[in-house]
Amino acid sequence: MSRHLRFIARTVMVQDGNVDAAYKILNRVLTQDGIIDTVKRRRYFEKPCRERQRKNFENCKRIYHMEMARKIAFVSKTNREDPWLGC
Amino acid sequence: MFNLRCAVLNSVSALRRQLVTPLNASVTVPRCGSRWLPILRTLSSSAVRHQEAEANTGKDFSYFPPLPGQESTLRWAGKKFEELPIVHIKATYNNTHIQLSDSAGQSLVRTSCGTEGFKNIKKSTPIAAQTAGISAAAKATAKGVTFVRVVVKGLGPGRLSAIKGLTMGGLQVVSITDNTPVPHNGCRPRKARRM
Repeated sequence: MSRHLRFIARTVMVQDGNVDAAYKILNRVLTQDGIIDTVKRRRYFEKPCRERQRKNFENCKRIYHMEMARKIAFVSKTNREDPWLGC
Repeated sequence: MFNLRCAVLNSVSALRRQLVTPLNASVTVPRCGSRWLPILRTLSSSAVRHQEAEANTGKDFSYFPPLPGQESTLRWAGKKFEELPIVHIKATYNNTHIQLSDSAGQSLVRTSCGTEGFKNIKKSTPIAAQTAGISAAAKATAKGVTFVRVVVKGLGPGRLSAIKGLTMGGLQVVSITDNTPVPHNGCRPRKARRM
């Protein structure tokens, strides 16, 4: 990060000395940006064949979870306007 | 305040956009005096809270740090954000180093789990990091430092407890930055462990 301006990105201000809350927020932001994940993965070298397998697996997992969430949202939708209205 | 924040966002990375939306969605009115004024006005329904929100119009808290180009009225012990001393915490998997330097980069205090008397495996514990934090804070207050910005590097066991140790030792933490090095496919790391 030496080529970037310091104290702009990945920075969280502490409110009222509540360091725990600020650290939690920082952690959440970093996880959402995938930085924690990347750092953990780069601790040891991941061979290209293993990387391709992992990416494939994550893709399949993502598709499955999205479809399942869609299905659940659809099935749990009980209030809707009358589809047979007018006939 | 929201419009100002939008202007700031456009000039900084997408990271910030993610930070604002979950905060606006999930934050609730704190009991001890609200600071999130225009956004929370829609959430608070009672008349008392409304008056509280209007009374605290002076203090506006933003999770974003004051940028060097912008003039902000925030001061800590009379110093601007850019002039506060910095505590670098390097949290490796085997140890935690804490170094306090002023805004120019001159080192003031340097402690680590090893200098606190811990050896080998005991250095890679959060308790050792906390003791290192407390001792660093004690030495810093002896040199007259109160408000401090923290920069954390690495994902080790002492990452949070070192900051906790600093607060327990008496230093006031103003902001937390994460400076963990993320290579854009640079050096090849060591081979995977097979256990």
